[in-house]
Amino acid sequence: MTARPAARHSAPARADGPAAVAALQAALAAENSAVYGYGVAGAHLARGKRAAAVRIWVAHQNAGDALTAMLAARGAQPAPAAAAYELPFAVHSSAAAVALATVLEDRVTAAYLGLVGLSDPALRAFGARAVRTAALRAAAWRGSTLAFPGLDVPVPRKAGAPKAGRGTTAQASPTPSHSG
Amino acid sequence: MARDATRRRVLAIGAVTLPLAVAGCKGFGALGTPPKPAPGVAVVDHAITVETRLIAHYGAVLAAVPALASTLRPLLAQHHEHLARLRARLIIPPGSRAPDLASPAASPSGSPSPLAVPGTPAAALGYLRDAENVAASAYLAHLSAAPPSLAQLLASISASEATHAMILGHVRHR
Repeated sequence: MTARPAARHSAPARADGPAAVAALQAALAAENSAVYGYGVAGAHLARGKRAAAVRIWVAHQNAGDALTAMLAARGAQPAPAAAAYELPFAVHSSAAAVALATVLEDRVTAAYLGLVGLSDPALRAFGARAVRTAALRAAAWRGSTLAFPGLDVPVPRKAGAPKAGRGTTAQASPTPSHSG
Repeated sequence: MARDATRRRVLAIGAVTLPLAVAGCKGFGALGTPPKPAPGVAVVDHAITVETRLIAHYGAVLAAVPALASTLRPLLAQHHEHLARLRARLIIPPGSRAPDLASPAASPSGSPSPLAVPGTPAAALGYLRDAENVAASAYLAHLSAAPPSLAQLLASISASEATHAMILGHVRHR
């Protein structure tokens, strides 16, 4: 038998098909790792930064739910989150927690850029909005901006290491508050 | 008499090309005009215009409020990176395009039309923040017309402008 799965939906998936599913899965994977990472980071942050981390942690959970629904609507099985993830560096301080949050948002930015590379205009626009949201959070944690968020992403740096010269530093340290 | 000669030549050309046009529906265009630019070219042109305008805003503010230089220079440097990356997307046949793409200042003789810039740091920062937000939106206006990798570049630059606007909103000026 060559029967298709019953859950197969037609209209929005047609433009990109497997490419759309792969990009959505990549975005979901980045969101899942961000949820885990913010759980770690939040434990090492206090006051305003902790509150921001908690708020963003919830936002990443919601974004993951939205991606899960989009995958299901395309008849795809959303890849489950891992029980644990390897962190790029040990997180034992507030500075390391901020550095981790920055890395997480850089990764999410890059993942959503994958959706912008599809041909479906709706997925492009959706991806572009998510790129903006994640780039704003990354810049707020970093305290500086990147010329090409998601495209040219700096190598993850452990907290306390000297900053690369590319970013531009704000005189204030904005607390991430951009939830979408 | 010279006019008559020209007229005859035109008539002669017409006599040759008319059957071509009727037969192939291509006529003059297929013989002489270069092919139309790919759709992405117009998108890049638009993006270059947006970025060039933004750089002009920065230049005007830096001239009016020099005290903001240390804050604005790094952001301006990233705008020049945007512009360079956009220009690198174009393959421009020599002599075939308007010179405004080749030189940063679109206006003649290097004297850009003066922009009305606020004179106080706070107002100038707000002015640039607005300009960044306008640019961030403008980059997304033609997102669906761009080939995939260009769409990704536009989305990335748009996000960068949005982060600039955020940083400008947080700057404490003295």
